[in-house]
Amino acid sequence: MLKRRVGLHASLGLVAGAALLGALAAGAGAVDPSRLLSADKNPNDWLTYHGSYKSWHYSALDQINRDTVQDLKVAWTHHPGRSTRGVQSFPLVADGVLYYSGSYSRVFALNGATGELIWSYIPELNEDLVASQTHSPYNRGIALGQGKLFVGTVDGRLIALDMKTGKPQWDTKLLNSEKLTVGFTGAPLMVKDKVIIGAQGGEWPWRGPIFGVNAATGEKSWEFFTVAGTAEAKKTWANESWRTGGGGGWMPGGYDPENDTVWWGTGNPAPLYDWAGPEWKTKGPRPGTNLYTSSVIGLDPNDGKLKAFHQELPHDAWDFDSAVGEFVMLERDGKKLMIHPNKGGHIFVYNRKDATIVNVWQAADNINFVERIDPKTGELIGRRDMAEGEHKNLCPAIAGGISWNSGTYNPKTGLYYKVVQEWCMDLEVVKTTPITEPQAQLNIGANFTFTNPVGGVARGHVDARDPVTGEKKWEIHFPEPPLASLLSTGGDLLFVPDARGFLRAYDTESGQQLWSHNNGLGHNGGIISYSVEGKQYVAVVTGWGSLVGDAYPDLFGEPYKSMATDSGALVVFALD
Amino acid sequence: MFKLPCLALAFGLSLGLAALPAAQAAEVPLDGKKLFANSCGFCHSKGGRKAGKGPKLANSPRSDTFIVNRIKKGKQGRMPAYARAFDDTKIRAILAYIRSLDEPAQ
Repeated sequence: MLKRRVGLHASLGLVAGAALLGALAAGAGAVDPSRLLSADKNPNDWLTYHGSYKSWHYSALDQINRDTVQDLKVAWTHHPGRSTRGVQSFPLVADGVLYYSGSYSRVFALNGATGELIWSYIPELNEDLVASQTHSPYNRGIALGQGKLFVGTVDGRLIALDMKTGKPQWDTKLLNSEKLTVGFTGAPLMVKDKVIIGAQGGEWPWRGPIFGVNAATGEKSWEFFTVAGTAEAKKTWANESWRTGGGGGWMPGGYDPENDTVWWGTGNPAPLYDWAGPEWKTKGPRPGTNLYTSSVIGLDPNDGKLKAFHQELPHDAWDFDSAVGEFVMLERDGKKLMIHPNKGGHIFVYNRKDATIVNVWQAADNINFVERIDPKTGELIGRRDMAEGEHKNLCPAIAGGISWNSGTYNPKTGLYYKVVQEWCMDLEVVKTTPITEPQAQLNIGANFTFTNPVGGVARGHVDARDPVTGEKKWEIHFPEPPLASLLSTGGDLLFVPDARGFLRAYDTESGQQLWSHNNGLGHNGGIISYSVEGKQYVAVVTGWGSLVGDAYPDLFGEPYKSMATDSGALVVFALD
Repeated sequence: MFKLPCLALAFGLSLGLAALPAAQAAEVPLDGKKLFANSCGFCHSKGGRKAGKGPKLANSPRSDTFIVNRIKKGKQGRMPAYARAFDDTKIRAILAYIRSLDEPAQ
């Protein structure tokens, strides 16, 4: 591990009212473990990516509600600048201060009521490396804890900033991104005294580690390889194929305090598509089930040891990974459960303690990569393993039936709201060889073309369902799948930031649209609610240009053909 | 490994890869197709025959020099720069594959 010399800058906002702002920042209490444990009890804050360890993406605030939402207006905006591929991150709020990141891991602390700058931090990145990366330079979020703010970088570092001043406290190089190409784009997760962050991976030929880092010192405490992280797992990669296996854990997971277990979803193996087809157990680029890719894994936050896992897609041959970060923690009939969406379009319901299957239900309508998944065992029934050559109408398309952005669970309705994507593709599976020298490269293993589902058109929908049984109460149709996270509130509102640029509010019970506002640019990131001095705010990030969104101009035409992919902002709403 | 005649190779390297003779461009180098499926097919749909995340490459009006430079330097926020990853031989193979996609004019 290399400790970098801090060659960065943090600027305190020297604006009118600096003393007041300074007082606001100084008033920010330390975000200690007990505060994170009870994050769901204080809706004034939004302390973690998923809102709390329950991953509900729910705010109990109700000042903005179905009766008042018509008076919701823009309160203030902030432009981070240099928003290549849009702002894809999740704001956090503690004690009236809003923190968020933009592309290139630029971080800002703002007065949550007015948007006035408190401090900013612009890291110096390896720009040559950034230019050679595919999944770059967006940043999807930050974490708070121990009086610090934590942010990963695409050149493989995890940085801690002082929450009050923005000054770097430590800067730890965790990944040799110059060699591996990948770095960190996902938000870290703070658990007790550790900052946990997963590397990018998937189509990249390495082993996709997840790190536990000492929050106080920046020293690496542990590293878990999502590819062949145990002796048992190594046996599931014949011919030493674990060396170029993929994996990764590029979205922040969840934490179960009762069992002291961190739950994390992992990326797909590489290459994405396997020319061995049905003979994958003994032939092809990665013979075997390829543990722990496309899995949910339970780690001990203290030492990173594996406690439990379930591989959602053994030998994933479709890039339908499990890297979706949300683990929705629920109790039903005395059972402690967690809900985890898989990119292939299924929702897995687990026993929280050991990831044994309680149920699996299908969210996307168009799925044919398997005939079904056994709801009692999780077994894939009727796999569609595609050998070298051309194949038609694989559903869903590579972008998945579900993307990485989070849904929301509303405890008042008991419903889980989630974006679902309907599209398919034709592909030609091609034999490839992993490229690891001099710099690792993508290993896709196919050429493909998005197509409409048979008898329909590519589209999206937001469903309101029972999270355990999957029973659908209603759905909202979208001509193009929204690619942002959802928010539901104690004010009986469901907020959907859509792809065209409209932020829409719906009644959580009926699905009726109650309000909308055009932010002028597609949404591809987070949305939160918080309050300052008794006033409720809703904050959403805008900006377009993710790797999924890049497919929209060809698929859907305008407004995507003309939509900027180098802009983005934080837009904050409040009642007039 | 697909090989070009020495003359073409020499001109190609010195002049930023001059246009390949049509007859040779029609020979699909296996490595170029593989490399494309490794790293390029993610964005250029149907093996470069159709627009997707990236533009259609078949029948591209762009010059060889332009394409080689784009592969090497990329385009910020749209396409990675491959100069660190792929040497001239690999880039030539990818270029030859792209040119092999050309369809004859009707």
